[in-house]
Amino acid sequence: MIARQVLVKARLGLHARAAARLVRVASGFQSRVVLRRADGGAAAPVGATSDQGVDAKSILSVLMLAATCGTQLEVRAEGIDEDAAINAIDELFAESFGETGQGSAK
Amino acid sequence: MTAQPQEVRCKGLGVSEGVVIGQVMRLHDGTPQVYRWRIASTGLEAERQRFRAAVDLARERVQATKAYAEERLGRDHAYIFDAHLLMLDDERVSGDIEREITVGHANAEWAVKVVGDRLLSLYSEIKDDYLRARVSDVEDVMQRLLVALSGARDEPRDLSEDAVIVAQDLLPSAVAELDLRHARALATDSGGWTSHTAILARGIGIPAVVGLRDFYRRAKTGDRIIVDSNRNEVILHPSEATLDVYQEETAQPLKPGPATGLQARSELLTTDGVEIILRANVEVPSEFAGVAKYGARGVGLYRSEFLLAHRGVFVSEDVQRAAYEEIAKLAGDDGAVVRLFDLGAATLREGTAQFPEPEKNPALGLRAIRFSLRNEEIMRTQVRAILLAAKTGRLQIVLPMVADLSDVRRARAIVHDEATKLAKAGRDFAEVKVGAMIEVPAAVLMSESIARAVDFFELGTNDLVQYTLAVDRGNDEVADWFRTLHPAVLHSIERSLSAARTAGIPAIVCGEMASTPAYAVLLIGLGATELSMTPSAIPRVRGVLAGVSAEDARAIARDCLSCSTADDVEDLVRERFTALWPDLFPSASLPAPRLSQNRER
Repeated sequence: MIARQVLVKARLGLHARAAARLVRVASGFQSRVVLRRADGGAAAPVGATSDQGVDAKSILSVLMLAATCGTQLEVRAEGIDEDAAINAIDELFAESFGETGQGSAK
Repeated sequence: MTAQPQEVRCKGLGVSEGVVIGQVMRLHDGTPQVYRWRIASTGLEAERQRFRAAVDLARERVQATKAYAEERLGRDHAYIFDAHLLMLDDERVSGDIEREITVGHANAEWAVKVVGDRLLSLYSEIKDDYLRARVSDVEDVMQRLLVALSGARDEPRDLSEDAVIVAQDLLPSAVAELDLRHARALATDSGGWTSHTAILARGIGIPAVVGLRDFYRRAKTGDRIIVDSNRNEVILHPSEATLDVYQEETAQPLKPGPATGLQARSELLTTDGVEIILRANVEVPSEFAGVAKYGARGVGLYRSEFLLAHRGVFVSEDVQRAAYEEIAKLAGDDGAVVRLFDLGAATLREGTAQFPEPEKNPALGLRAIRFSLRNEEIMRTQVRAILLAAKTGRLQIVLPMVADLSDVRRARAIVHDEATKLAKAGRDFAEVKVGAMIEVPAAVLMSESIARAVDFFELGTNDLVQYTLAVDRGNDEVADWFRTLHPAVLHSIERSLSAARTAGIPAIVCGEMASTPAYAVLLIGLGATELSMTPSAIPRVRGVLAGVSAEDARAIARDCLSCSTADDVEDLVRERFTALWPDLFPSASLPAPRLSQNRER
């Protein structure tokens, strides 16, 4: 199992379009991929997400994280392709889901 | 006593133009009746199969909707259906639903409803506005499943000739799928000026009243209804007397027959020979066809922020450039004016997520040119895309919400800088003219000096009324103070137009005011010669302006300028217009006399 911290830089947060991309990418790997708010989930509704995190292959769970711009998330992957999975997801966050094109927010 | 139901009048917000008498067609209840029955152990596997088949069917339908939306509304409206597809395939949901069937011995409909309701209640607690708005997507998907399970086709889309769509709110898929060419009008309980319903109604040129609170509950399919977008009102079960009034009004040949593009594009002259140019305001792709259809002389205002809907504020140069090239092509030789992003809480509600602290007063906050100057990279990308696209057609830039010369100078410096960089890089581009939107009182008072620093003016009357009178147009409580014909507004328009004339630059009046025939005449009287409006309003305005003399309009406008109150202006307009042009202005087309303000809700 490996884990990595990522930052939501997309302007609208993990909104429908970004969440859809994330789910599509995560679903391409065999590993189990889990997302967890590193801040304890202040904006998410109570009981929506557990401390164990949510399944990154489920769009409804991902949206439920209510991860707005600036939220720190922890990604964990476990399985035979965990390295590739975590790198792919890291990259998505790094390039802010292909939204920017002109660098990240100040 | 008769069995005739009582006439009911409901006030809402008219978000487009026009009046329609028709029949209610209720749409998308949002709470379909779902009953529970018990499935015997031997039937559970079959029930799960039935659910999976419904998912397959729903998936097919979402895919079809997506294709339809891509074609009719553009890719940006369609992407949301990608998320819908993923929701249908989401094991969190399907797993829960199947478990509900298995453990609870529940029928599939009930299982969908239970799981769906649970999700909806979780989502509605999300604090972020944009993410919480995904509730409507979850609702949409759950409804798809229920419809698929019922074996029914999707909502009946075959609308009768005079169907008026009445709904609580229109879900994204309903809006995308409806064959809106057959809907005569829209009336919804929720929504505002920038809601999906409003944008579409303006785009296709049908009357719409939104924000009717609990109207949906009262209306039944087949009921007689009048939607009067001009007066912000719907009337259910209109009485014979009301019908007579409206039938007379809608029968008036106010609208000249649908002119063909060519005829309509011919020169428009007032009876005393003043040439008037009518251009189109456009925003969504569904409006584009109207530019040629109604004979607009180019695009007077392209509201570019539509490009950002659902996308966030970073849209690449290439995507923007392609969009501006399309607008340039659409506008042809008459050219198009691209307004730089008019971003603010009102226009980009969904963008609130990016400002962690919601602005207390967004209308007076970081929006339009202020937003662009603060977020220079966004502005530079947009400017670059326009300069590049201008190579393929005639484009101009207008700066929204400038207050004085410093806004203009900073913006022009950026335009100049980007052009210099493109030239250095050896890229193909064309210089563009830069104009200023005059829409805040500060700009009106400084219009003489601003006019000398820009290539043209555009008067945004919607904001000008709102800011001059300090009245929020969306706030029902102060609706009585929102007076387009307030003398202060008329003076502001007159002063700005005269500043443009003195400086020798053109001025285009855009905004709702220009699309109302009586107001358009007044604008001509105040000195305007170029108006820009929603395309579908052009034939109507054209028909009226061709029948009046600019001299008469000027005389009336002069008298209006010496009035002290909006009531006085309206009385004067009513009196003089009816006397001079009884055929062009039946009384119903003029501002109604202010009666007592008791409104029925």
